[in-house]
Amino acid sequence: MQIVPQLSDQELLETRVRLPQHVVHRGFVAETVVLNLRTGKYHGLNPTAGKMLEALDAAPTVADAVPLLAAEYGIEQEQIQRDLLPLARALLGRELIVAANDDTA
Amino acid sequence: MTTRLEACSSADRGEYYRTAFGLALSIDARISIPGLGQSPQAAAAAPPSRVRLDADGLSRRWKAITSLPERLRELRFNDELLLSVDFAEPAGYLMWARDFGRVLISPDGIELLCEPDPAVEHWANILPFQALPLAATIRGLEVLHASGVVLGGSAVLVTGPPGAGKSSLAAALVRAGGQLLSDDAVALQLMDGVLIAHPGSAVLQLRAAEDARLSAEQRVVLGRAASTVEDKQRYISDHSPEPAPLGGLFLLERSDEEPAAEQLAAVDPFELIASTFNLSVRTPVRLRRQLDVVFAIASGGLAHRLRVQSGVNATQLAATIEAHLAAAI
Repeated sequence: MQIVPQLSDQELLETRVRLPQHVVHRGFVAETVVLNLRTGKYHGLNPTAGKMLEALDAAPTVADAVPLLAAEYGIEQEQIQRDLLPLARALLGRELIVAANDDTA
Repeated sequence: MTTRLEACSSADRGEYYRTAFGLALSIDARISIPGLGQSPQAAAAAPPSRVRLDADGLSRRWKAITSLPERLRELRFNDELLLSVDFAEPAGYLMWARDFGRVLISPDGIELLCEPDPAVEHWANILPFQALPLAATIRGLEVLHASGVVLGGSAVLVTGPPGAGKSSLAAALVRAGGQLLSDDAVALQLMDGVLIAHPGSAVLQLRAAEDARLSAEQRVVLGRAASTVEDKQRYISDHSPEPAPLGGLFLLERSDEEPAAEQLAAVDPFELIASTFNLSVRTPVRLRRQLDVVFAIASGGLAHRLRVQSGVNATQLAATIEAHLAAAI
């Protein structure tokens, strides 16, 4: 697992993240499968986490993904942020997403 | 047996052409692999994979490796090593199987050099059961550990744990009018969004107890009766079907209930990934293809659950599949 710099919540919210080229994902009905082509490891995400992954990849910053997801699920933004930040850290740690200025992407 | 060893080092004595797992094959005339397809179109469509008896060539290439061999796969039973696959540049994949011998498969899957165990008459069985599926995977196909038949123009595949009854069910589907694709491994190819199933080896292996329940007429339908291997009666079909679009993949599951089939709206993708045959090739291209094939099965509504009771009649199961597919249409 990649050693991720300890970003504060605010720093992470201001970060732009992307799926790197070595990561592919497919959305199945009950699960999103994320494949790291470098490690050969498959990862499973539940549908909500899969939707969050897509939002993280599309949004300009992590913070921008929050209102999109809140609108989609009809949940308060604070609740979305509480769920999204640990997921983003876990995905960064597994190199399934990277900071957009990361040259290794 | 000595003559076979001498033959390994001698010059090429001719070849014949077959197809299997989506590959065109040029096979050394000294190697007998029954049950392969004979489609001339397929053989002309792609550069063939060449299967040769060449123990000297195998040893020479493996001695010339420039990287440390990486052990990609081991198959053990009770701690005893039965099969291994190593990879090293530039030689490729070296497959060893106890009681069969060694096969060196080039990194591009084009060349297979064989060094058989001289004491084993049926050494060539390693080719359709292990080496050719590996070559097919290297060359861009995805091989499923499944039995399968072509029924009504579509491929019907059955996968499940060892001993679940895949071969018995394939035999029952053949008796119901299907053409055997394979009772062990079938290659899938994603072409323009459509999954095409390619036949493997049209050799059916039935447990003696299952075979004993069949009438003489039923046995004739299965093909030529060949010698038994490990208490299994082998039937060889000389008419391997053409590749066919995948019509359904049935996942066998033990159950206490009556046999029943249902289309899976939400199949577990990891269950499908676990059904793929070859874990030795883990290149990015192959891994992406594996996921694409699994996704195509799931998103195409091609996955079905088939619940079976222990000891259930294979003919009854085949009828369950036929009725389920007919209702789906």
